Formats: sequence, structure tokens, C-alpha cells
Amino acid sequence: MPPKIDLKLCTGCKICIDICPMDVLKEGEKAPVVAYPDECWHCGACMMDCPKKAIRLVLPIPMRLVAIRIKGK
Amino acid sequence: MEDALVKCDVLVVGGGLGGCLAAIKASEHDVKVTLVEKANAKRSGSAGTGNDHFWCYIPEIHGKAGLTVEDVVKDMSFKGAYGKLTEGFIDQELCESIVRETYDRVLDLEMFGIKFRFKHMYPWNYFVEPGEYEEAKFRIVPQFQSIPDTLNYEGRDIKRKLTKEAEKRGVNIMDRVMVTRLLTHEGSVVGATGVNTRTGQFIVFEAKTAVLQTGRCNRLYPTRTGYLFNMQDCPNLTGDGETMALKAGAELFVTPARKRGHGTFQYLKNFTRASGAATTCYPAGRYINSEGEVVIEHPSAREPLRARREKVEADIREGRLPFYLDLTQATEEQIKYVEWSYSNEGLCWAFLEIMRDIGLNFRKDIFELDLEKPGTISGGGVGIFIETNCATSVKGLFAGGDLVQPAGGGSGPQAVVLGWRAGERAAEYALKAPEPMVDERQIEDERRRVLAPLKVENGVTWQELNIALNSLMTDYRDYVGGLSLGLNDVRSKHGLESVLNRLRELRREPVHAKDPHELMRCLEVLNLIDVGELLVKAALDPRIYEKGKWFMAKLVVKEIKFFQRPIVYKYRIE
Repeated sequence: MPPKIDLKLCTGCKICIDICPMDVLKEGEKAPVVAYPDECWHCGACMMDCPKKAIRLVLPIPMRLVAIRIKGK
Repeated sequence: MEDALVKCDVLVVGGGLGGCLAAIKASEHDVKVTLVEKANAKRSGSAGTGNDHFWCYIPEIHGKAGLTVEDVVKDMSFKGAYGKLTEGFIDQELCESIVRETYDRVLDLEMFGIKFRFKHMYPWNYFVEPGEYEEAKFRIVPQFQSIPDTLNYEGRDIKRKLTKEAEKRGVNIMDRVMVTRLLTHEGSVVGATGVNTRTGQFIVFEAKTAVLQTGRCNRLYPTRTGYLFNMQDCPNLTGDGETMALKAGAELFVTPARKRGHGTFQYLKNFTRASGAATTCYPAGRYINSEGEVVIEHPSAREPLRARREKVEADIREGRLPFYLDLTQATEEQIKYVEWSYSNEGLCWAFLEIMRDIGLNFRKDIFELDLEKPGTISGGGVGIFIETNCATSVKGLFAGGDLVQPAGGGSGPQAVVLGWRAGERAAEYALKAPEPMVDERQIEDERRRVLAPLKVENGVTWQELNIALNSLMTDYRDYVGGLSLGLNDVRSKHGLESVLNRLRELRREPVHAKDPHELMRCLEVLNLIDVGELLVKAALDPRIYEKGKWFMAKLVVKEIKFFQRPIVYKYRIE
């Protein structure tokens, strides 16, 4: 369910809520909540602009990457 | 809640790359400029989290190398990788004007703090020897043209920087507002209406002129993974500009659905815009088949499309699927360069972060590619028809960027050059225009239409409508192209009529929004249905695909009328 916010790192500054192009985040009690997870574009704006690096993106199942390791397992 | 009233001289609708530049340029004149953006201008539009490449004709470099402006226009209209797609359906005069101004706009972007020149040059950058330089230089790489002319640059924060410049110049930026309709008086644009997507407040704009910069229409067709917003360009771009221009009486250009696929690999599997394509993987990403054999040496190889297609088709026929992006053979210097490109281009920065989190690495892993199948029918599209001065066919209405056709400029250059120009022309127009006189009845009608989904109970959701529309647009592609077998001339009239009827049924569904955010999505889908309906109607007209003629649409007394405009070619190829 992208994006994923680390509650230990989040200071509640709301920059991500302000910036999200798809407007998927809403104000929560302590940290932002992902109100519209299916509308995430995975553009990374929230992660890019978070001053505490408290946000990571987790790909939903249909978007998982298909990769094969061929060197140096 | 009471309506808000905003008065200005120049109203710019859409705050992406083109919209920001339109507002910046307009503000050089003695006019009050308002920029309205559906998201937050600092990170909005298709370049919201960056852009790493941009084709640009630099006279002192390309001219010296023997590439003329005429060559570029010919490349864009017939010869080059891009010209093969546009099939000559472009306005060469408009295209030429873009070619001639790309460099000036790059110089402007540099003034706004965007880094285009570098002191370290690599062996794969064109027109300059590798090494360290005192004076920074452009990193030029190949893309569409027969001679490399694309600049790799640090555009990750381009939107932040342009927004800051617009603010500095006194532009009134209104974020989280969706513009829904243009207001007209005696055939001229005199303002617009909009809705705040967080509060639901209805907004009336009184403006002497409007500039539409709402990008290309993106949510018509299904995505590769079925995940609604998994797409290259910004999912907020939903034909808003096209539909409001059409309703205001503007002429639109219709691109027919055609057989397009020539066996290219645009994306890494499942993550659309994590590019396997040309410039972003330059200079090292190569494509291999399941046997590890190289299909394409590297994506930017200037290989004829037909040769590429033949190789891809041979592998498909003989079962050597899937194809992979392979950077494992690249040097560390090359991989670092690819990662630098990625870190500046759209969703690719996020992609690198995700890769790191899940332990993937270009040095060790190969990535399965999504193949655009040879012979795929690409869906049609619409754009606003403009003159070279960015004027639409409606008085007081200007447009630029990806939204306009048939410019043939490609996304970045078209946004930057035409955004700038549309802003300037609109400001000049506003200086002479009378005070706007808005029509209360138009406002009342639109308020009722826009706020309706908030009042509907037990209605359908916007997602349901969007998915149904995507499915219908797939049927449309099938009925235009012989069940997507790549057969262009086997259009099924009955099939298309069935799609049209079902689109009309969709439009009648009561759609429900539980909050202002969902209201935005509902209004977007209604716009998408309008665009879909126009495309299907257009496909029923036998004149839609005639070489040498543009196919156009215009609303005449609430009915869409189609007509043709002859294409005037300044340059032809033998």
C-alpha cells in the first residue's frame, strides 16, 4: 500500500500531504494517512521532498518488477 | 459554501512545465496572472518529479555539424523515429518554429537555475571530446533526429524552480483547483469556472484571456497491469482542456487510431515509465532475448525501425521470449551515467529507490521488458488546433504544450516553447481586451453540473466508470483495427456503433463522490467519456485517415461536426 510512512521518523510536517500530485495523503492523528492508496502514481514526490526520509514506496502486487540475478549471487 | 470570485487578466489553466512557463512569460507584461493547478505546481504534471532529456537544436553545434532546421522538420514529419509515427500529419510551420526556439528556451531555463551544462564530458556525449573542461558544455545524446540533438540535463527539480520563479514574478498560483469550463461572451473567452478539490468550493474566474496547458489525455486506455494509475504521464491529465475547448467552440485535431507498434520496448515490465527506452538508458542498456542473444545493441542505436521489427518478430516466432534490459555488461562509468539519467527523469528516481529497497541492481540483475507488440493498434487522440502564435480558433483562448496538435514537437520542447509563446501572446491580447463580461446562466449551469456528484446517493463510483471506459476504448481499438490484428482497413461500423451506444449509457450513470477529492476524479472521468465519444464518432467517419489532410472536430449547436483541413507542406522528402 504505497506510500509507507515510518511513524518513528515522521515529524508531522505535512510536506508530503501538500506536495502529493495525486492527493492520496490526508492528515492523520500523528502522521499522514494514505487515504486513496489506489491512486498512487509512484512518482516518488512524497519520498523526494520528505525532510526526514520517513517515506518509502512499496509496489502493489500487479506492479512488482520481474528481474533475474545473473551476476554475483 | 459561497462561491469564490477570482479576477485576473491572464488565466493559465494547468501548472505543468508549459503552464509555468506561460505564466512566467505573461508576467513580464503589465498584466495580472493567475495560474491554476489541479495538484501542487511544485511537483505537478508529467515532469513533476523531473525530466532528464530534451531535444534542442543548437545552431552553433548542429548547424556546424551539417544539420539544418529543415532536416529536423523533415525528421519530425517523415523521416526520423518520430516522423514515422506522425506519418506527416504535422504542421511544419509550427514544428519549425519550435525547432528554432528550443535553444532560446534552454537559455531561459538556465537562468531559472536548471542545470544544462557540465564540466565533465563522457565518451558517449556527441560533438565534444571526453574529459574535464573549464567551461561547462551540453551533454548531447541521440533520440529522434538523424543527428543527435538531445540534451541530458538535471531536471529533477525543474517544477520547483519554475514555481519559485513564477511566485517571484507575482503570479497568483492556485493549487488544488480543477478548472471545469470556459466562460464565453459573444464567442470570446471571458473566464472560467473551477472547483477546489479539497474544500469543494466552486470558483468563478473572470479573465480577459485564458491559456490552456492541461497536457495530453492519459486515462482513456487500460494500463498494462490493470492498476489504474500505472502510466508514463501524469494520471491527472484527463482531457480537461480538450473538452472545455470543444465546448467553447474550438477546433480540435483528431489523430486516428492506427497500426503503430514496431516492436519497441518502452518500459520495464509492470512499472510504466521506468524506462528501458532510448535516452534514459543511454549509453549502455541493451536488449537481449531469453537465450541471452543481443536483440538491440543499445536502445539509442540508430537502427532502422523495420530492421528492429524483423529481429523482434523472429524472436517471437521462434519462442525466444521474454526480452530483457541488460546493463550487466556495462562499465561502472556507464551505469553511473544511466543512474544519473534515471535520478532526473520522472518516476525513475523513485524506481531507483525502490530497487535499492528490494535489493535489485543494474550491475547484477536483468529486467524483463514490456514489449509494444509489432502491429499494435494505438488508440487515437485529440489535441487543440492552434495557429503558430498559439491562438486557438476561439477568440481570447490560447493553448500550448502537449495539449496542442499537430505540432510534432515531442513533449518537452513543445511544452517549453509553446508554453512560453502562449503566455506571451495571451498577455499581449489581454492588454487590448475589454473588461470580461461573464454570463450568470453559464455559471449557474456549470455549478449544478460540477457539484452534482456530491449530491448523488447510491450512485456508481468513478473507478467503476473509469474501468468501464477503458474496456470500451479497447473495443474501439479492436473495431478500428480488425480485432487488434494490425489490420487497419477492416473498421467495423456496427462494432463502433455499439461502443458509442455503451459510452452514452455510461454518461447517463449517476456517479457519486463522497468528498471533493472524489468529485475531481468523477469530473475527470466525465471528461474522459467526452473524449472517448469524440474518438469513436470520428472513427465512424470514412474521411478520418487521408494522407495530406488533417481531420478536425468542432461543436456546432451541441453537435460534433467533422471536417478536413489540407496540410500545407513546406518541406517534403523524395
